[in-house]
Amino acid sequence: MSSDAQAITSPVAEVPLSRRFGAIWWAALLASGALVLLLGYTLVSVSLLGVGVWGVNIPFVWGFDLINYAWWIGIANGASLFAAILVLRRHDLRTAVNRFSEGVAFFAVICAGIFPIFHLGRPWLFYWTFPYPATFQVWPQFRSTLTWDFWAISTHVIVTSLLWYVGLIPDLATLRDRARRRTTQTVYGVLALGWRGSVRHWAYHQRAYRLVAILVLPLILIMQSTVAFEFAVTLVPDWHETRQPLHFVATGLAQGLSIVLLVAVLLRWGLRIGRYIDEGDIDLLGKLVLASSLVSGYLYIDEFVFALLADRMAQEATLNRMTGDYAGLYWAAIVYSIVIPQLFWFRAARQSTVAGVFVGLSIGVGIWFDRFSIVVGGLQMDYLPSIWRNYSPTLVETGLFLGTIGLFAVLLLLFVRFLPVVSMFETRHDEHQEKSS
Amino acid sequence: MGEGTPFDLDALRARLAAEEGPRLWRSLEELADAPDIRRYVEAEFPDVVQASPVDRRTLLKLMSASLALGGLAGCNGGDAGKKSPLLSQSHNMPGYTPGVPLTVATSLSLNGYGRGVLVKTQEGRPVKIEGNPLHPASLGATDVFAQAEILALYDPDRSGAPLQNGSPRSWEELTNFIRPVRNELVVAEGRGLHVLMPPTSSPTLHRLVAQARQLFPLAQWHVFSPIDDDNRQSAALTVFGRDVDLAYDLTQADTIVALGGDIFAEEPGHLRYAADYQERRRMQGRELPRLFAVEARPSLAGTRADERIVLRPREFEAFAQALAASLGANAVPPPPDVHPSVSRLAGELRRAGSRSLVVAGRELPSGVHALVHAINAHMGAVGTTIRILEPVRPVMSDARTLDDLVRAIAADQVSRLVILGSNAVHTAPADIDMADLVRRVPLSLHLGQHRDETAVACHWHIPEAHPLESWGDLRAFDGTVGLRQPVTMPLKPALSAEEFLGLMAGQNVDGRGLVQATWREAWGDGFEERWARSLENGIVEGTTSPAIDVAVRPEWVPKPTPPVASAGIDVVFVPDPSVWDGSYANNGWLQELPKPLTKLVWGNAALIAPETADIFGLSSGDAVDLTVEGRVLRAPVWILPGHAPGAVTLPLGYGRERAGRIGNGIGFDAYALRPSQRPWIATGGIRATGERLPLISTQQHHSLRSRDIVRVLAPGEAPARETEEQPSLYPEWPYEEHAWGMVIDLDACIGCNACVIACQAENNIAVVGPEEVAKGREMHWLRVDRYYGGDPASPDIYFQPVPCMHCEKAPCEVVCPVNATVHSSEGLNDMVYNRCIGTRTCSNNCPYKVRRFNFLDYQGTDYTPSPDAMNPQVTVRDRGVMEKCTFCVQRIGAARADARVEGRRLRDGEVATACQQACPTQAIVFGDVNDPGSAVSRLKKSARNYALLGDLNTQPRTTYLARIEAPMEKG
Repeated sequence: MSSDAQAITSPVAEVPLSRRFGAIWWAALLASGALVLLLGYTLVSVSLLGVGVWGVNIPFVWGFDLINYAWWIGIANGASLFAAILVLRRHDLRTAVNRFSEGVAFFAVICAGIFPIFHLGRPWLFYWTFPYPATFQVWPQFRSTLTWDFWAISTHVIVTSLLWYVGLIPDLATLRDRARRRTTQTVYGVLALGWRGSVRHWAYHQRAYRLVAILVLPLILIMQSTVAFEFAVTLVPDWHETRQPLHFVATGLAQGLSIVLLVAVLLRWGLRIGRYIDEGDIDLLGKLVLASSLVSGYLYIDEFVFALLADRMAQEATLNRMTGDYAGLYWAAIVYSIVIPQLFWFRAARQSTVAGVFVGLSIGVGIWFDRFSIVVGGLQMDYLPSIWRNYSPTLVETGLFLGTIGLFAVLLLLFVRFLPVVSMFETRHDEHQEKSS
Repeated sequence: MGEGTPFDLDALRARLAAEEGPRLWRSLEELADAPDIRRYVEAEFPDVVQASPVDRRTLLKLMSASLALGGLAGCNGGDAGKKSPLLSQSHNMPGYTPGVPLTVATSLSLNGYGRGVLVKTQEGRPVKIEGNPLHPASLGATDVFAQAEILALYDPDRSGAPLQNGSPRSWEELTNFIRPVRNELVVAEGRGLHVLMPPTSSPTLHRLVAQARQLFPLAQWHVFSPIDDDNRQSAALTVFGRDVDLAYDLTQADTIVALGGDIFAEEPGHLRYAADYQERRRMQGRELPRLFAVEARPSLAGTRADERIVLRPREFEAFAQALAASLGANAVPPPPDVHPSVSRLAGELRRAGSRSLVVAGRELPSGVHALVHAINAHMGAVGTTIRILEPVRPVMSDARTLDDLVRAIAADQVSRLVILGSNAVHTAPADIDMADLVRRVPLSLHLGQHRDETAVACHWHIPEAHPLESWGDLRAFDGTVGLRQPVTMPLKPALSAEEFLGLMAGQNVDGRGLVQATWREAWGDGFEERWARSLENGIVEGTTSPAIDVAVRPEWVPKPTPPVASAGIDVVFVPDPSVWDGSYANNGWLQELPKPLTKLVWGNAALIAPETADIFGLSSGDAVDLTVEGRVLRAPVWILPGHAPGAVTLPLGYGRERAGRIGNGIGFDAYALRPSQRPWIATGGIRATGERLPLISTQQHHSLRSRDIVRVLAPGEAPARETEEQPSLYPEWPYEEHAWGMVIDLDACIGCNACVIACQAENNIAVVGPEEVAKGREMHWLRVDRYYGGDPASPDIYFQPVPCMHCEKAPCEVVCPVNATVHSSEGLNDMVYNRCIGTRTCSNNCPYKVRRFNFLDYQGTDYTPSPDAMNPQVTVRDRGVMEKCTFCVQRIGAARADARVEGRRLRDGEVATACQQACPTQAIVFGDVNDPGSAVSRLKKSARNYALLGDLNTQPRTTYLARIEAPMEKG
């Protein structure tokens, strides 16, 4: 390895190989670790007692479970779509952000995956959705959106983790080479799959990486659409709309980008790796966030127009979402995910760490409100007024949601600690190209 | 015994003697060999010595014998089971096949009047109650209270041992204590003895009371029920000069004016009246009858009325006066301010002539009842729409009231007080401190099913047998006698009121013997055969009271109407539709049953009109302080559209302290405000407190929002037929044999809830408790939606029972990922509990929201009924599993098995769902829609037939018949 390469790789590789983790890291891990404990508690209580510990009822059989599931899936999708596009387009930005956007995507899928399993009345039987040759020869119902969802989410986990892992292999080898202790060498060595950096390896690696990235593209559309189908395919007046998948894909993209932006800004600040995620990168990311939030805005207008054109019950249901008991959620979604991101018309805001955190969080929160508004507000005005009721989450549900945020944070913290957050080999590649040109 | 097999008692007896005789006799010999003391107790309390837990096989054996031999085996045979081998006992019994339920006819009482029922017992356990089609007060239908008796039977809080000052005593100790007391009283000719009991129609009880009174001539007998008919009685005494009972014949009535009350819910013949009214509506070739309800609070009859006239309770007397005057029923000139509707009602009544009927609710003052008698007599309705009968619950000669008892205790004249089956401490009016009075009596004795408020005030508490465990007889509203027989071994050692009185009268303490003695006396020869037939049929033929010839006394003149006061608000006390007078407060099914109009569960509320709420700035759930005669009661209000302004209705029966684990501390106690002088309509004050008391209602939105949910048609109106078939992606299902379907006639539904609770009893539906219902998790498979339309002051009120629709293109089926809800070959939408993993997506996709989910383990809660009460034909659902109406698939299966054994096709009407069977108005019809001749197919061809949310193309199997409303010229 050349000395140049050494110089570039060093700060990035130093972090995982360092023995001193820093007080902030420990504090953050402690805080998010506590939330993971909360997650454990809520999962145990829901498993032992049943989903009745949540606020769900008839007709709101789904509450936080589906809201948060859809929300996490949105993050995962947005982030992995973003990473895949960067890989495929060989965009400059990819060196800076695609490693951790892949990570964000993967961790978000893990968080999302908790909900569909634990929201079951009998979670230990979740595998019945899998088409295995059961003695009674009962197969899953292939017309059910939940069966589609099972396939979508399992595919999603596989592809997202592949994208992340394939991208990591050369860097894992670097870490292996630079590690001093035997155990570290062994762990990284096994994970690096015997990477020696030969030309043939690089050729295969590039092919595999791009192949997986291509897989991500349709997958994202399928995954988000499948989540949307869980609503759109039902007869519920507000849900039964063909525009639903588009809404989920577009708002999910805005959400994923915003979380990537948030994490990028935080890493830049926390790990002091401004050289690798430079201001241009952040600026570009900010523009993407702004653009995607404008698309969301367009979709909100589209939703309103659709509602006006819809039949009476659908119209009443959608208008109720905008004006009824849960109207606050709808308008909060618009403010947080569309109005506030307009800050990014200003270059200074795009490049500011504080504004980045603020807007990143704001969109994340806004889309969460959007999902809440759809899952709960959309169901409120169903066909028969006699069964109209209200839903509000219990502490257990809230704890579960906070717990998944904790899990996400813990995974992210461990990731920044033990794996290179910025792709070393691609950064080297870029630097070389710059030099040679 | 198969259907249609001639009843041959001798043959049966011979067969039984041959097969079972030795065993039965052996047990008696064993009894004979028992030690002296045991024999002594046995003779004194034969029911009591078998305190052992019920042995199932013995029970079965006795059950079957009881059926076959008209109850010959009775319930005194526990020892036989204990000492005989456990196996191969029940198999030889005639009429019994293991696994096949036995049905026993008996009678249940509500307010002292009988309703005939058939009790289905499974392996000796009563599991379901149906109406007895032969019984005039039932015609096969039941009310909610009859259905809920099953749960009352298995109530774990029922007392099982005598208590002396709260400490358990053995029956022997009780006997040893009572014997000298009784002997002293016999010597003293009953001086100082006072007995308090509720009014009853039972001939045996009356006979026993008469006998006891011969033995204790100086004793005084007091009759008290919180749901009294005193106003009616005193009106009859004034107008006719004697006490009478009225039986209406609604099949004959063309115009009915109902003043107050609720003929479809609160009268002794309410089931029959609802059925008759509907029969009259269904009569071909006759104009629809007209029902006018003049009322302060919406009643079930009022919701069904062609017109409701909302009246303040204090205005009824003037209204009745004006009505009588404008019909010319009396000479008194009408009061000055005549209600605008009076002349129209008078016109309607006059048009109907002798086919008119005016009825008055028990809460109205006796002046109103008197005027109603006069009107009916004047119109010639007596003999056509009304039969005047000897009182079905005859007043015992020289019977006293509760007030007399209070005075006697205050004057220290009571040394021995016996309270039989009455919870007077809870139900006595507020100005009577019954607990204190009872405690002042030197020796008080209470016979009751629960250790209730009265039990703890008395020195001794003796467990009372449940009506399903004991012998007796009851008269229906028209006088027809139904026998009451035990349908199970006593679950707890206890005495019935009959047995207790028998003891007092120095007779054998054998309930069956006591009842038999009554009828042996009445029938003379041919007793055995008649007895057996009466037990089998559930009614005693030829006991219907004949109409008596009474006339309005010529000297009767109605009292001048007192001027309508303007001060204060009217406080009306009514029996609660779920717990009646409070005696059903410990019944989980009834507590969780949404009340017909308010849909409130687990509690009561002070019902007020929207206008009243406006004036006082109240919303539902706000606590108010109600004041009557200086007493204050804090209660939450509920705004009930259609309620009279300036009035508040207080349902009785809640706020109990010692009802049991389910009923304690639920709601507020309206008795605490009830004045003894004006027990039904009092004048009081209302004041907002700013506090809130949570109320739980299962329905929160009440407007139809002009959606096509409940359809209403004018008589004979044929709506445009549904639009042509809508396209569907999926092919039609083929049905080779049956295709089950249901039709619910909204014109017939009175919203009485009998179907809801029948479904709960049949299908083991869990009671989830107030906390869970408040979260929106009640489990009823069948709900009755109630909608309001029009002006909130006088709204149109619609009921719509909603079971699973069993859609042909069921939206739930396609969204279940694991195929847990599937279409059956007979068109049912089946729920496979074992397969369900609980995604709940089926409920999301059900536009009718009829699916119910076990959010928690509802089978192991404080509210879970005894497992004995469960129907063994229906799976008990686990947590995490979806459930819903199955169209009573177990009943379909049982009928199919029967048909197959007999090698024939299922006949139309052979399968009746639980809801259908309970319905008094036959609003629910179930059958095979593949058979064009079936009743359900014929109804589906009606012009009134429509599918709920039909434009979704779910093609529901359950369809509705539009309600018929004759256009009324209002004015």
